[in-house]
Amino acid sequence: MFDSLKDKLGSFRSDVEETTEEKAEEAEADAEAEADAEGGGAESADAEPEASAESETSEDDSSSGGFAQKAKSFAKGEIVIEEQDLEDPLWELEMALLESDVEVSVADEILENIRKDLVGATRSFSDETADVVEQALHDSLLKVISVGQFDFDQRIAEADKPVTIIFTGVNGVGKTTTIAKLAKYLEDRGLSTVLANGDTYRAGANEQIQEHAENLDKRVITHEQGGDPAAVIYDAVEYADSNDIDVVLGDTAGRLHTDEGLMDQLEKIGRVVGPDMTLFVDEAVAGQDAVQRAKQFNDAAEIDGAVLTKADADSQGGAAISIAHVTGKPILFLGVGQGYDDLEQFDPEELVGRLLGDES
Amino acid sequence: MVLDDLGTSLRDSLGKLSGQSRVTEEDVEEIVKEIQRSLLQADVEVGLVMELSDSIKERALEEDAPGGTSARDHVLSIVYEEMVALVGESMELPLEEQTILLAGLQGSGKTTTSAKMAWWFAKKGLRPAVIQTDTFRPGAYEQAEEMTARAEVDFYGDPDAEDPVEIAREGLEATSDADVHIVDTAGRHALEDDLIDEIEQIEGVVEPDRSLLVLDAAIGQGAKDQASQFEESIGIDGVVITKLDGTAKGGGALTAVDETGSAIAFLGTGEEVRDIERFEPSGFISRLLGMGDLKQLTERVERAMEETQEEDEDWDPEDMMKGEFTLKDMRRQMQAMNNMGPLDQVMDMIPGMGGGLMDELPDDAMDVTQDRMRSFEVIMDSMTENELENPRSIGASQVERIARGSGKDEETVRELLEQHKMMSQTLKQFQGMGQGNMERMMKKMQEGGGGGGGMGGMGPF
Repeated sequence: MFDSLKDKLGSFRSDVEETTEEKAEEAEADAEAEADAEGGGAESADAEPEASAESETSEDDSSSGGFAQKAKSFAKGEIVIEEQDLEDPLWELEMALLESDVEVSVADEILENIRKDLVGATRSFSDETADVVEQALHDSLLKVISVGQFDFDQRIAEADKPVTIIFTGVNGVGKTTTIAKLAKYLEDRGLSTVLANGDTYRAGANEQIQEHAENLDKRVITHEQGGDPAAVIYDAVEYADSNDIDVVLGDTAGRLHTDEGLMDQLEKIGRVVGPDMTLFVDEAVAGQDAVQRAKQFNDAAEIDGAVLTKADADSQGGAAISIAHVTGKPILFLGVGQGYDDLEQFDPEELVGRLLGDES
Repeated sequence: MVLDDLGTSLRDSLGKLSGQSRVTEEDVEEIVKEIQRSLLQADVEVGLVMELSDSIKERALEEDAPGGTSARDHVLSIVYEEMVALVGESMELPLEEQTILLAGLQGSGKTTTSAKMAWWFAKKGLRPAVIQTDTFRPGAYEQAEEMTARAEVDFYGDPDAEDPVEIAREGLEATSDADVHIVDTAGRHALEDDLIDEIEQIEGVVEPDRSLLVLDAAIGQGAKDQASQFEESIGIDGVVITKLDGTAKGGGALTAVDETGSAIAFLGTGEEVRDIERFEPSGFISRLLGMGDLKQLTERVERAMEETQEEDEDWDPEDMMKGEFTLKDMRRQMQAMNNMGPLDQVMDMIPGMGGGLMDELPDDAMDVTQDRMRSFEVIMDSMTENELENPRSIGASQVERIARGSGKDEETVRELLEQHKMMSQTLKQFQGMGQGNMERMMKKMQEGGGGGGGMGGMGPF
């Protein structure tokens, strides 16, 4: 994931650096010229910027906004990053975000944050612009990706047993496969699980989860096709209660968020079962629509976090950013393959670090 | 569906151009920005968006508007041409013996699509068979078996076999009676080398006439890489967009079509086997071009319906959503249209009827349409009660009698019946939509665009 974004973030940094570097050189040259003419001196600090400002206005008269600040910075041997320095790099960055499937409005917000952080930021001639830019990128990315992150393992460990987790999402994103993987994940951490097939709709759903359960040696509770999904999950909770099972993993039928009937059903499951945790599953290859779905699933049955599947298929991964941002709920896991072990904990710090890691 | 919002935002930008005879660079910049934003929000690949918007910009600034054309229409026609060039025609699909191979990512809807396509071919009078080669995903066999049973088509699969290539070979033999073989495969993505090898082998055994890439409407920028990998390994002839009943715009499919040099074949619009449509570029284009003001049209329609109802107490437009759509209903609908106001104004608001298309029509086209509607009324007046209720029962001799009775020629009578049939088919699509109010109907009309559209079907187009 995020391969192309990573490249682009690198070039954003160097673009801004280049622009400001040029400015710094100009400023330095100006400063020398001024210094020669005026002879320097502490009290001339007031006069000097004015003179230099005049000489700069001719090259650059659209920068009137930060005039005073610029003058002051100049006296201190600093340059100011201005809006027009960022225009081109920010446009490039916006395209990079969109190419990574970050939703348009979310991308706008990230850019706005960076703009706010960088415009007017000062750096001294000796500072690396890259550092200033990197900090701004780091902060704004982390701000959108890292929302309400919590320790999944710890929460499960500390919760009253059985813990009931419901999985929601649209068709074909990989809810059932994720449940199988999570059963394995919990087993590795010494927790027992029972699966519940709340997908009483789709052809082959019972067979699919049953086969996973056999492979993993887990019990699965199913009803006839067409049955009440809430009842299935309720039964599974009862079963877990009387058999000392730690975690109930409740599958639901994939549904499009536009299907009112099915979204109501989801609400009902939430009411009847009262799950301890609801996880929204979506795929990393999803584009702009990820935001719509996440929002509406979160509205129908409030989610605690999200799992992003098929992360191995995709070099973009902006859906992660969009979903976290729009729901305010963290991405907890990534599905990275078709094996039962192909489930990774999602760590936003690590991701941002990796995105900004200097490898080029 | 794809580019729903483009019409609206374009209309806004273009609205500023009305009255101008020349476009400035700034105008073009603004319009191009709108187009870019809409396309990006529809998941069209960034590079493709830039290419498209660059050529629109270049043409809008360089080409002179033909004499008598306003700047607005000129820009509009350029946008139209470029979009049409991108979208292309629907994939050609002859109704003959053939083998079709389906490929795509996990969860994109291949198995459902294979059953739907088989249903579609069966409805066209061919005998299809689905061969399920997904040995990996648990439940895939059962799902295909059940879906094909619902579609009432032949099915071959082997839950105990392990080699998809072998299943494909045996499946083709076992279903040799069928006309159309649809080979479903396990989901895979571009980076899974061993699975890409596998589908190449399946392709070698199956020797498909067409290989279709099945894409979820929600797929994002990754569509490009996925499409190019599948194109490279098995060659893609067409794209199926699934899950279009959601809010995803399906722009990824445009990317895939562009990347593979193929065309859109089918659209998946629901979970039942019937929920499949052939891609209709005309519907797509009319949405783009017409930029119909649907909100206004809806209000007008509702108002007119109320007025018509006042005149005719025992008629409820909702009735059309239930039982048969009869000629009586059609007559009332025509009256309702008259109540809406001058036809040309109404047409301007209907997607596909307004905008540039209107300007291309001769000035008297609308008068002709008014005349036509009056002719239809006269013809209906010459029909018996039974004929109005059961237009399907009208045979050649009755057509002759009605023509004589109404003083119109037989051709016009047949046109009326044809028109009725078309509207009735369109309405069928709206039936069973639950709350069948006009607004939803209009929305559906815009989304589906197929079948000439209910009100749109009134025109001579």
